[in-house]
Amino acid sequence: MSHSVTDKPTQAPTGADSAPSQAPRRRIGVREVLTFLLTDRVALLVVLLAVLLVWMNILDTGGYLIAPYDLAYLFTSLEMAVPLCILALAELIVIVSGRGGIDLSVGAMVSLAGMAFGFMVGEWGWPLLPAVAACLVVGAVLGAINGFLVAYLGFPALIATLATYYAYSSLALVSNDNAPISTQPIQDLNSLTDPVALPFGLPSVPMQVFTFALPTVLLVWLLMNRTSYGRKLYAVGTNDTAARFANLSVSWVRFRAYLLSGLLSGVTAVVTVAQYASARPDAGTVGNGMALPAITIAVLGGVAIAGGIGRVGGVVIAALLVTWLNAGILLAFIGSEGSQYQLFALGVVLIASALLNTYMVRRRGGT
Amino acid sequence: MATTMTSPARSGAKTRRVTARAVEGQELALAGVLAVLWLVLSLVTDTFLTTSNLQNILFTVAPIALIGIGMTAVIVTAGIDVSVGSSLAVAAVIVAKLLRDAGVNAPTALLVAVGVGAVLGLINGVVVAYGRIHAIIVTFGTLNLFRFISLRIFDSQQVTGVPDTLEFLGGGAAGRTLGVPNAWWLVMAVGALVWLYMRYAPTGRHLYAIGGDATAARLAGVQVERRLVAVYTLTGVLVGLAACISIGGGGLVQQNIGTGLELQVIAAVVIGGTSIIGGRGTVLGTLLGALLVGTVTSAVTLLQWPSELTALFIGIFILIAVGVDLIRERRRRSR
Amino acid sequence: MEELLALTGIHKRYGGVQALRGVDFDVRPGEVHALVGENGAGKSTLIKIISGAEAPDEGTIMMGGTRLAGGSTTAALKAGIATVYQEPQLFGELSVAENVFLGRELRRRRLVDWTAQRRHVTDLLKRLGLDPAIADVRVADLPVAEQQLVSIAKAFAHRAKVLILDEPSAILTDAEIETLFGAIRAMRAEGVGIIYISHRLDELTLIADRVTVMRDGAIVASRRADELSVHEIAELMVGRALETQRVTREVPDAPPALSVRGLRRARQFSDVTFHVLPGEVVGLYGLVGSGTGAVARALYGIDPADGGEVEIKGRTLRLTRPADAVAAGIAMLPANRKVQGVFASKSIAFNISVGHLKLLSRFRFWVDRRRERAVARDFLRRIAIKAPSVSTPVGTLSGGNQQKVVLARSLVERPEILVLEEPTQGVDIGAKEEIHQIILDLANAGSAVLVVSTDLPEVLRLADRVLVLRDGRITAEFPRGASQAQVLAAAAGAAEHTSLDDAREAVAEEVG
Repeated sequence: MSHSVTDKPTQAPTGADSAPSQAPRRRIGVREVLTFLLTDRVALLVVLLAVLLVWMNILDTGGYLIAPYDLAYLFTSLEMAVPLCILALAELIVIVSGRGGIDLSVGAMVSLAGMAFGFMVGEWGWPLLPAVAACLVVGAVLGAINGFLVAYLGFPALIATLATYYAYSSLALVSNDNAPISTQPIQDLNSLTDPVALPFGLPSVPMQVFTFALPTVLLVWLLMNRTSYGRKLYAVGTNDTAARFANLSVSWVRFRAYLLSGLLSGVTAVVTVAQYASARPDAGTVGNGMALPAITIAVLGGVAIAGGIGRVGGVVIAALLVTWLNAGILLAFIGSEGSQYQLFALGVVLIASALLNTYMVRRRGGT
Repeated sequence: MATTMTSPARSGAKTRRVTARAVEGQELALAGVLAVLWLVLSLVTDTFLTTSNLQNILFTVAPIALIGIGMTAVIVTAGIDVSVGSSLAVAAVIVAKLLRDAGVNAPTALLVAVGVGAVLGLINGVVVAYGRIHAIIVTFGTLNLFRFISLRIFDSQQVTGVPDTLEFLGGGAAGRTLGVPNAWWLVMAVGALVWLYMRYAPTGRHLYAIGGDATAARLAGVQVERRLVAVYTLTGVLVGLAACISIGGGGLVQQNIGTGLELQVIAAVVIGGTSIIGGRGTVLGTLLGALLVGTVTSAVTLLQWPSELTALFIGIFILIAVGVDLIRERRRRSR
Repeated sequence: MEELLALTGIHKRYGGVQALRGVDFDVRPGEVHALVGENGAGKSTLIKIISGAEAPDEGTIMMGGTRLAGGSTTAALKAGIATVYQEPQLFGELSVAENVFLGRELRRRRLVDWTAQRRHVTDLLKRLGLDPAIADVRVADLPVAEQQLVSIAKAFAHRAKVLILDEPSAILTDAEIETLFGAIRAMRAEGVGIIYISHRLDELTLIADRVTVMRDGAIVASRRADELSVHEIAELMVGRALETQRVTREVPDAPPALSVRGLRRARQFSDVTFHVLPGEVVGLYGLVGSGTGAVARALYGIDPADGGEVEIKGRTLRLTRPADAVAAGIAMLPANRKVQGVFASKSIAFNISVGHLKLLSRFRFWVDRRRERAVARDFLRRIAIKAPSVSTPVGTLSGGNQQKVVLARSLVERPEILVLEEPTQGVDIGAKEEIHQIILDLANAGSAVLVVSTDLPEVLRLADRVLVLRDGRITAEFPRGASQAQVLAAAAGAAEHTSLDDAREAVAEEVG
């Protein structure tokens, strides 16, 4: 190869045509790879994830971490990814639905549905399965209220879900006089989040990954990519006027997006109650709440705030990336410093990924 | 110009039309709701219509109202700033530490607070204006970043034993003039200035044009980026002042200071009739909105209802205020 | 008289299409210069070049004796060239006075001088013969027609020397047009050169001093308005050689697939009565603003009619939603491909299947992706959509191929009734021919087709019968074989008359 390259300039006049045309072609090759990484969010996230894992391993072997960043640790930390991932999928659905779609109330819905779940299991002694079903129904109803306000009454999503955030979080706090429910039946739920041993010598994984996260991811992926509702949702979010001309009922499609967001909040509520062995009235709203990280992960996962664009795969990998980044940060700092640097990382990652999204959209719009 | 004569009677009639627009319908309605609420509360409870309670309401809503003034300008440009709670924490912890450890005097403290707020606001403004990212994403990001900065400065401990250097802005007797909290006087003064600015200054009017259609505004010669940077910086400055109010008489500054403040401020602005899609809103409405939030909070306490219900009522008021506005717009369009 | 604006030898090419071929055009101060031509004749390209939105490939633009750099809207604005588009670019929440002065407010002690602004705007409105009382009104509270007059006043206030009015009368009523003409005459009296673009030829005799006719990217005539009759202008626009190969077809005798009686919608159309037979192509022709598009949208239930009857297969229906229309067997191709047609970031297969998810799914739930792709692939071949694969995003295709994708969506299940609004707008010649053939094939297969278009040759070529809509009413009907000039005259008004009413009466008599 090197011979032919060095030979070429000596071919002089005839080669003058091909040589310059080859140099740009090679440069475009590099640019194409970059463009691919920048425009294909899933590919970029996979690369970032790999970089993160390699880098943390280097820190680990260099002895800079307070505990080993190994497979066992990564698998255990997945318990933090479960609620984040499910709620980020909820945000994916509402943001894709378009016209400023967003759901600030997911955290409040987790709190309120969780309290309802707590009452059903912990106070009224319902069996587990009916209680779970009822909790999902509660979430769906709360989401339906958002959907009604946004899709049928025309409230801006930001305002409607800000108002219901207040209302739901208030009701959650009032429901049990600001006290958690942690009776024995609730504490027993903790077994739902026990570690599960894996074959082939792999470390164990929290059970909710298999019982809640994976089924949810699979169902949402099927919903978005394989069902006619998914098609309608992307269509409405991409261009709701064209959707109307294509005989889609725009309001009904959008309404169901918010309902689904509520339903997924209900799922998260069950997981959260089981994980903490307690139904806490502020489970989804304490501190910055659950909505902000969920929106952050959705945006990082490549969901365009303008609607119509966003993939389940991107969101799931973004959730993993944030979880394992956070897990790594906890090992790199001592005490509460770790949780502080998590905030820093979240902020930087969010703004950087949004800048990337704008770049991508501008490119796509330009061509 | 061919004909420049206008009869005085005519221009008089015009002036009346302008002043009629100075107070919007929504503001009158809001003032009405507030009046009814105060009337009912003073009849139902013995404690509502007391000097101390009213002073307390005015003092507690002062930070919300003050930041709300800047937030109004931001939302009028079709933006939003959800990072105000975190910025307040940064300004508050810096000022608190300076007051306690360096013993700085009040003017320096105010200057530092305003400066810190301005820098944080400037960062938001620059990224929003030049990065072309939606403001909500930018400020969600800086919400985390600024909270990180404040926690680093707190250094894992709340600040205790802050001296009473800023007590003239606090909730105590030293913080009142003519019976009204100085913090509220500050709100009124800043509110009047920004109201005048948004109503009479050319660049103030441009904010409405940006919120209506930023591209068309740029074509008309409006310096869109500069205006955006300016409104976010203004909000930062007011956050700095609000931080001084929250330190007030000194004592304790906790690490979670300002958490959730952004939602209260946005609630006040939205209840005050500012449209979240931009292009419409006034400072007067926001001040009334903040008073409504304060009144509801106070009422829930005085009626001895669980304090957690306050948020429910705020949520309902947001829905009513925006719902009324939606109906009005729809009727106007069908005309 | 000295020219204010002079363009010489302007060439412009878009891809394979030569939009302008050596155009010379000028405007003198105090002159209303009308620019007319069929859709695609090159008017809008010329306007874009004058306003700086596009740069010419060749040629020079001289403004007031100095050469103007092409392709810069700011340079054009600075030189005194202002454009008023059909959609007023105003700020709804600001008052009329503020809108006029936005970006260059009158100040007193650094604050907006409301009194002075109001005085100036009141004067301005009076000078243009507009209602001075609106100076303080919020623009959002004004009707669209008045907003348009305000944007004209705004351009004038900024001391425009050349004012481009792009179809200003399309949405105006007669009374409003009189007001508009008053304003134009006032500006002309102050030495402004006005480029007036309109499809309504009857207006030209009333307002224009000079008329320039464009055809196929070149100027075919530029004469004083009083030397030309409306018929002559129509003939110049159409040209004589341009009769493309004629279509001849027989329509089988059958009961109508669609009959419409007395259909009306406030401010858009009234008393619209017609029918379409199965296998028949009916053209609905009218100028921009005549209400043809509104009739199409009412039939599809997007903007439902206020009254009247629609009868399909012997059943009287109320079409209040697209779902009603689709259930009745109506499909529609919308006019604005970008806004109403395509999902740009989505694939061709997605764009075609999205209207037929019931058909292309199992149990109305799972999308049958194999069939989805098969259907899309079939269309790629059948109607020659040029694309690498069915998963190509539609936004990356050319206008013609995008339009074919949207059309394919209406053809997946052969519709009993197909309503097409501007089926070939912004489409190149080749694709246009192909789309016309698809439409005729569909009619041959037995569908009733209604072609709603402002493109006259297209209507004449496709339609077995042409209905002419003017001011929201059907004013004439022509069989296949009518001449372009006849139809255009019926739609645009024919003889020179002093008022619009007279002109229209005369047309009504003539067309009879």
